[in-house]
Amino acid sequence: MTVLGEFALWISLPVALWGMFLGFAGGRTQRGDLVLSAERSVYAVFLLHLVASIGVIAAFVGDRFEYWYVASYSNREMEIFYKITGLWAGQRGSLLFWALLLGLFSSVAVFQNRNKNREFMPYVAAVLQTVLAFFVVVLLFAQVNPFERLDFIPANGQGLNPQLQNYWMTIHPPTLYLGFTAFTVPFAFAVAALLNGRLDARWIVLTRKWILTSWLFLSIGIVFGMRWAYEELGWGGYWFWDPVENASLLPWLTATAFLHSIQIQEKRGMLKVWNMSLVLATFLLTIFATFLTRAGLIESVHTFAQNLTIAYIFLGFMGTMLALCTVLILYRLPQLQSENKIESFVSRESAFLFNNLMLVGAAFAVMWGTLFPLITEGVTGQQISVGPPFFNRVNIPIGLVLLALVGIGPVIAWRRATKKNLQRNFSTPFIVGLGTAVVLWFSGARHGLALTTWSISAFVLTIIAIEFWKGTRARARIEGEGLLKAFFHLVTRNRRRWGGYIVHVGIVIMFMGFAGAAYNVDTKHHVMPGDVVEVESPMGHTYELTYEGLSVSIGRGQRNLMWQMIASVSVQVDGRPTGILTPEKRSYVTAQQPMTEVGIRSTPIEDLYLILAAVDDTNAALSADASAQGIDLQVLVKPLVSFIWLGCLMLTLGTVIALWPSADRRRLESEAVDAAPATAGA
Amino acid sequence: MKHGRFMVGLVGVAAVITYLVWTGVSTTMVYYLTPSELMERVEADPAFRDMGVKVSGKVVPDSYERVEGGDLLHRFVVHDLEDPTVTFPVEWRDALPDTFSDEVEVVVEGRLNTDGVFEATTLLTKCGSRYEAAPEDMAR
Repeated sequence: MTVLGEFALWISLPVALWGMFLGFAGGRTQRGDLVLSAERSVYAVFLLHLVASIGVIAAFVGDRFEYWYVASYSNREMEIFYKITGLWAGQRGSLLFWALLLGLFSSVAVFQNRNKNREFMPYVAAVLQTVLAFFVVVLLFAQVNPFERLDFIPANGQGLNPQLQNYWMTIHPPTLYLGFTAFTVPFAFAVAALLNGRLDARWIVLTRKWILTSWLFLSIGIVFGMRWAYEELGWGGYWFWDPVENASLLPWLTATAFLHSIQIQEKRGMLKVWNMSLVLATFLLTIFATFLTRAGLIESVHTFAQNLTIAYIFLGFMGTMLALCTVLILYRLPQLQSENKIESFVSRESAFLFNNLMLVGAAFAVMWGTLFPLITEGVTGQQISVGPPFFNRVNIPIGLVLLALVGIGPVIAWRRATKKNLQRNFSTPFIVGLGTAVVLWFSGARHGLALTTWSISAFVLTIIAIEFWKGTRARARIEGEGLLKAFFHLVTRNRRRWGGYIVHVGIVIMFMGFAGAAYNVDTKHHVMPGDVVEVESPMGHTYELTYEGLSVSIGRGQRNLMWQMIASVSVQVDGRPTGILTPEKRSYVTAQQPMTEVGIRSTPIEDLYLILAAVDDTNAALSADASAQGIDLQVLVKPLVSFIWLGCLMLTLGTVIALWPSADRRRLESEAVDAAPATAGA
Repeated sequence: MKHGRFMVGLVGVAAVITYLVWTGVSTTMVYYLTPSELMERVEADPAFRDMGVKVSGKVVPDSYERVEGGDLLHRFVVHDLEDPTVTFPVEWRDALPDTFSDEVEVVVEGRLNTDGVFEATTLLTKCGSRYEAAPEDMAR
């Protein structure tokens, strides 16, 4: 099976290249047979990569340690679940996995359009195959072939890094990859539009769902990563502006900008060059994110071994794509002129533009900060880096403006907002926001940035609540429906709009959660069994923690575990016992150093987060009397962390609502198809 | 007409972001130095002590001590990767990373105070095989 997989991977390269040439040639010559062949090659490449991926999994499950990749990421004792997910646990497999997902999406896109939008499809297939061919070239020629064999057969593999053996970690990378790869489809359509000259909003209409899908997976993938860091890294944070985190944030920022600016092109025929640039930028940033993770140029907890061959291939590909697309955009510049002008500073167009500018500005700042060590080293020979303080300093103000725009953008009038429009839409929310600030101030929450965030959040939530209320009431009156029914119909009749509002609510909730970090409590204690630690939380609760003692369990290598040292800490909140938390230290056969497992008690308003920082005498604890050991206990209280996960759930719900196909939408789309040739001819 | 005013707004926003990035970099940047480079810099210009620096080196064996008392306080000595004679003491007031041990490569960020003690605000341990180990090492 594995040999077959390797063979399939090699075959996929000529097939992808074949599809690429035929696609471009078929598009130019308008020959249907060439185009059909190109499209079929897309399916073929996907199937070949499927075989290759199954080959890798088979090697993992069969403990085939003669393969370098399997020997590095698995061993006999590993659970079958982690053997299967070994496909994307390391650099080599995850590049193949990336190609597999891209092939899957490419096939879906080609299949969806097998009978329609034929003017786009030759080039779409060609572009998709170009990107696929690139990844196969990397896999085969950049010393990252997952099928590479060792010249001996090790008795056992090295096993997976225990920090990666976590539920969130197994779903975080695939989710991000889904987001990254799905964005290749809109990019392919954009390039097809540049090539076939169909430069109205058609390519955007066709790929809107792809854009949203990609954005959704990117968002969830980033939050999954945060969740993993929070639970597994054991220092109490969820984000630390690590280069690879930044790399996943960059395409999210530009994709978010794109998601908004395409609405201006659809409604007002403006920002065409801008949208082309954004789709190109986002695509390149998805590649850049892979590049940064895989090439190891910047120091990070995520990076795999440094590999310069990969770096050159990636840089070459990104450079070529950037150059070609820039030339294409310049060539089509006359056809990419705006059909309208911005009429007023105070208008929806303007709000969306500022949103775009802020998002792109944030992306620029994050990129600059991430690449700063590389830049300074190149220019001055001296590595100078910027850390979290830089990113926070720049991104918090930008984030707050964006947060306010989340409220303003969707309700301000198109073209030109009158004073009356402004007063009607914003006076109540403004008062609520201000009121929230005053109430928070007097109740003792006086951290400037947090206060501002919560106050703006109240402003935005009020705006959205009023929108929902007005819509529901109007519908109830006109249609004579009950409020609940009217609300349901309101959302289902215009899913894009109301789904969008729900996404916005999710974003606001997440921001409220981020601001909670201003009130983090972090205390450290040395405790002996029986000692009690008291911690006051900013929300007014008192935690009484009793260290009950340490227990040790010896794992003897089962599931790769050597030993666990578990501290029992009983928790009382405001005098009421609420159970026991068990922060741990674990030692795995597969890692030289012990790992920290934290104990978390999560409530909607705050998390209690216990870290077993150190045990007084590890050796004594393991050999003799564990229960008498003193420990260093770190106690963290983290307000509103749950809001982040809740916000992500809302965001997902809203996006799914917006994506859900509806009867109305199908009708609208078929109308759009009928109407499209007329506008294109005009 | 409005176009002009609009451009002013856009340029204004771009300028503000650029300003944020610029001042952000200049107030938060840290030099990444080796212990030898740090000593040279401080000798040449004592004001350099106030700069934030990030220094990588290795923990001198048996230099680690836990200072008793209420709060966590760890002391250890770090030596230059290339020249083991260049050393400086470090004070760290937080939980030690799991991977901390003798001869482990550490990156400390903070300031060298006037007593010559490095007060670390962050402490990272580098572990070469963190996510990728070479199975070649298994061959015997």
